[in-house]
Amino acid sequence: MMDKQIHLWAFLQGIGFFPSGWMHERARPEGVFSMDYYARVAKLAEQGMFDAIVFGDQLQSRGAGGRTPERMAMPTLDPVSLLTAMAAVTKHVGLVATVSTSYNTPEMLAERFGAMERISGGRAGWNIVTTAHPATAPNFGDNDLPPKDERYRRAKEVVAKACELWAAMDREGPMLPQGRPVLVQAGQSADGRDFAARTAEAIFCPAANIDAGIDFRSDLRARVAVVGRDPDGVRIMPGLSCVLGGSEEEARASHAAILDLADDALAIEYLSESLGCDLTPFDPQGEIPVTTILEHTILPKADIARAVTPAHEKRTPLGAFAANFMRHPRGHNVFLGTPEQMADMMISWRDAGACDGFTLQPSYMPGGLEDFVEQVVPILQQRGRLRTEYPGTTLRETLGLPAREAVAA
Amino acid sequence: MTRPFILSASLAEAAFAVPQSAAPILQAAEAAGLDLLMMGRSGARPFDAQVLLAWAAPITTRLGLVATVPASNAHPFHVARALSAIDFLSAGRTGWSVIPEGSPDGMAEDMVGAARALWDGWGSDTLILDKARGRYLDASKVRASNYEGPFFKVAGPLNAMRPPLGHPLLVVDGDDPIDVADADIGLIGADGAAPAATRRLAKVSLDADVAALSNRFAAGEIDGVHFTLTDALAQLPEIGTRFGSLVADRIDATGDLRARLGLPIPQTASNQPGGAVVPENA
Repeated sequence: MMDKQIHLWAFLQGIGFFPSGWMHERARPEGVFSMDYYARVAKLAEQGMFDAIVFGDQLQSRGAGGRTPERMAMPTLDPVSLLTAMAAVTKHVGLVATVSTSYNTPEMLAERFGAMERISGGRAGWNIVTTAHPATAPNFGDNDLPPKDERYRRAKEVVAKACELWAAMDREGPMLPQGRPVLVQAGQSADGRDFAARTAEAIFCPAANIDAGIDFRSDLRARVAVVGRDPDGVRIMPGLSCVLGGSEEEARASHAAILDLADDALAIEYLSESLGCDLTPFDPQGEIPVTTILEHTILPKADIARAVTPAHEKRTPLGAFAANFMRHPRGHNVFLGTPEQMADMMISWRDAGACDGFTLQPSYMPGGLEDFVEQVVPILQQRGRLRTEYPGTTLRETLGLPAREAVAA
Repeated sequence: MTRPFILSASLAEAAFAVPQSAAPILQAAEAAGLDLLMMGRSGARPFDAQVLLAWAAPITTRLGLVATVPASNAHPFHVARALSAIDFLSAGRTGWSVIPEGSPDGMAEDMVGAARALWDGWGSDTLILDKARGRYLDASKVRASNYEGPFFKVAGPLNAMRPPLGHPLLVVDGDDPIDVADADIGLIGADGAAPAATRRLAKVSLDADVAALSNRFAAGEIDGVHFTLTDALAQLPEIGTRFGSLVADRIDATGDLRARLGLPIPQTASNQPGGAVVPENA
């Protein structure tokens, strides 16, 4: 194993990281409904020596207040199906599906991931989520989500039971090549971090800058050690989006051009979804309707108040607030610069202990992934930081995690 | 089109769950001219058929892929979503068969009703994908299903598009039937009872008399045959040899599974006749 190797994951939900990404000239919004697209993208990830492809997931349709947005890319197809189909056309890349513990039984999860693990030859990973969006509950016969602590309590039980079921499946045969899927987690809260520390073998997180990365990774490694696990057996993989250019100025101009594809109407749809309240009936030039938002939102009111109050007090118009909100997405690192600068940045994060690698979130698909694989991957390889061939066939081997004997019962 | 003779088979070998076994079996099924390959059957589901369908989609080109879905260990939201994805990945070659085994009375039917309501929550022509105008879809074509059955209560909308087939083909096995009046394919049970379905297939063994079956087909008694495979890799080539002549006239037929088999969505099953159309982006 080379020193300070950088692990790469590709987060490929939808048509790219930016809400306006689907409109880019090198985006293929029709592609996400065809196998050709997924085959091409999966092979590209393998060419780029990615550990794994990851799909996020939600169990509710996009929108707010019962209104479906018209300008955002949707819907997303079932991640287990997409990843399993990608397994059929690749040999090495791992396949990490996001699946909820709150709206599946352990039996359903074990059957599904067990099948994925077998048919992929040991390349399955499970991003364990508890599902936090209140609009999910009515799709499963409930009015409300269970409270957060209860969701995490259930998550622990469901994971433990699923692991028992996989052990039984492995004994009965055909064997599960990794014993069970690799367990991945992305929780940010104290509950989430504790759960990750006990359970996860890889962790996906936002980290806007190198210091945030160092803080998160140090905190998680400490929590992992406290529960008696080896911190080196956990890969920490912050999100990373990018816009590349021949110069920094060129990259900045391309980034601005992507953001400029979005109009006020898209920005307001995006804001509506994020605030859990339909804002499309309101005048973009008018003030932010704080009272209406707090009255109607289905999301935690304190969080929403924190998000809107400062702009409202500054009398920022709704449209301007929405546009600004969309331009600063979700606390992830968005790199703008040349491929050499990006490789330098990635290496500096790795050397500083800010991560074990990165979860690339291409700004639009498939063009953003193509650029990274063609322009940045070769530099990382030349500098000895990225493998030039896969070490084995299973995801555990690719991640350099302990062999299946450590997890198989 | 003329009424096609339908060639169908089910397999339930545990070994099918690994790629080294599954790949040659799928190739043999296509080579034999099979229209439908059902993964699993009542009393024998050694794998998650929906997952294997997704894996089979990119490495097959014309085979209809039918998933058995257990009524008691699945949820219609997940099932509707997975089958939508698989139908896109296979370009309209998906089917499903809800297996009632071990579930309370009415649960399998409820599963069918809920999934149909979810697929019907999206119009065939919802997608616009107009980059220049920034319009991705027509929201007026998306509806909450608000389905309420005895077991499943599902608000919707589903976060998956209506499948290219509209609804995947619904297959009902007469030996473990569910009470649905408008299935697409019914497998005639051992007692001779045929499920209410647009097309009915006789369950036969590999040594069945081809001429006699051809006569029963011509007389309108059956619409095809269904084999219960026990050793798929050995039996599929034999099916091709003995029964291939019955489907030989359709071997080059193109289009999705409903088009090729002449199986429009039953009017009682859906609020619209067609499947999802994905506009080619300019």
